[in-house]
Amino acid sequence: MSTEEQSLITTEVQTENTTRADRPDETVLEARSLDVYYGQDQALTDVSIEIPEHKVTAMIGPSGCGKSTFLRSINRMNDQIDACRVDGELSFHGKNVYDEDVDPVALRRKIGQVFQKPNPFPKSIYENVAYGLRVQGTVDDVDLDDAVEQALRGAALWDEVEGKLDSSGLDLSGGQQQRLCIARAIATDPEVILMDEPTSALDPVAASKIEDLIDELVEEYTVVIVTHNMQQAARISDRTAVFLTGGELVEFDDTASIFEDPADDRVEDYITGKFG
Amino acid sequence: MARIEYQEQLEQLREDVLEMGDVVCQRLRRALEAYETTDAALANRVIAGDHEVNELYLDLEGECIDLFALQQPVAGDLRFIASSFKIITDLERIADLAVNLAEYAKRGDPERYPDIDVVHIGTEIVLLVEDAMRAYATNDADATYEVAATDDEIDELCGRASRIVARDLVETDVVDDDLLEEVSRMLLTIRDLERVGDHAVNIAARTLYMVENDDELIY
Repeated sequence: MSTEEQSLITTEVQTENTTRADRPDETVLEARSLDVYYGQDQALTDVSIEIPEHKVTAMIGPSGCGKSTFLRSINRMNDQIDACRVDGELSFHGKNVYDEDVDPVALRRKIGQVFQKPNPFPKSIYENVAYGLRVQGTVDDVDLDDAVEQALRGAALWDEVEGKLDSSGLDLSGGQQQRLCIARAIATDPEVILMDEPTSALDPVAASKIEDLIDELVEEYTVVIVTHNMQQAARISDRTAVFLTGGELVEFDDTASIFEDPADDRVEDYITGKFG
Repeated sequence: MARIEYQEQLEQLREDVLEMGDVVCQRLRRALEAYETTDAALANRVIAGDHEVNELYLDLEGECIDLFALQQPVAGDLRFIASSFKIITDLERIADLAVNLAEYAKRGDPERYPDIDVVHIGTEIVLLVEDAMRAYATNDADATYEVAATDDEIDELCGRASRIVARDLVETDVVDDDLLEEVSRMLLTIRDLERVGDHAVNIAARTLYMVENDDELIY
């Protein structure tokens, strides 16, 4: 074997051993000087952040700090609130999602969302996942069956529901319902999944399954998660953004840096519980 | 200020670690006194009292584990508890070395090597441990570097002392078992004192990490 061949093998092995944290950052979402108002109230103040692809980015901060507002701004869920006004820029792959030519429905297919409370449709497990695919135009039954199975597998739910796809999604446990919602979100092949406190309504075992799932999902998708559970942010995220009162993004860094040696004293006070 | 009980537990841990530091330094001073005065009774008291330090260590270890498990500390609190957890191990080892010194005091002949001032070296080292603990108590990062620098000087002193012992052995015509025992006892005394200095540097290194998140002095 030539030296060159050996060197190629060595490189391959090194690449396989590279951890998620070591991968170079490719920005998928970027906010620049983002301000969000609800009527006269300012919910986000001059937020600038670059969210890396195929990583888990956690948003933490006290209630009312604007972290959920930021999440909803990403896929324009705030459009549904009449009094909401957005200034500044929020781009997805360099394109401002607030440009007039952006279709919010199409945007939400690329940037899916999972909510705090599991919210399956009152339909069968199969239809919960197939719904978005039908809307998107996947009509072939075989393709649809495959896509539903793949989505359910991707959400680590397939083994538990394989024999009862016609049962109502509402008959599943809370944790299973949340994974069904994740399956629904990934069925339309998004690039980003936004999660707004996805485990806060679940028991610890169900929550840990979701956390394991997030760890797998990030191989295929970018995950942005809002959580009140700081230990959860520390466990599962690569980057952590800390919002504080007034909708200010105070610090954004590697999760280990935030939880071991935050640069901002206000962040130190918040995460150690001295805040307030 | 939120999490008041937690803050009180952190302050209690700091006080308890400092108290353990005081106890250990006192043991070391007594061992040195026993060495200087060849007071076997005092040496025995140092040896017999080691279990108290071990019990203190286990109590403090429990305090740290409880804080980790129940409070999930982060940031500065995490570094403080993690550093304290390491520092109590160094203090416990220093107490073990004080026991060794007390053992040597019972059997050694302080007049055998008039050019080696074990008590002076030992006193400098006790001061070093106290300096390291003061840095921990006051979050003084600068002082940790001073501890490391002073330990280098003490290592020099110990090196010189070891060379005196070696030269004396080489220059002695009749080497009997008594002499060999005396030589090994003195070399072990010097080595153990040097190790106490190394533990003082460990305490300083963990303190620097605690204060500045800087691992420069760790190893």
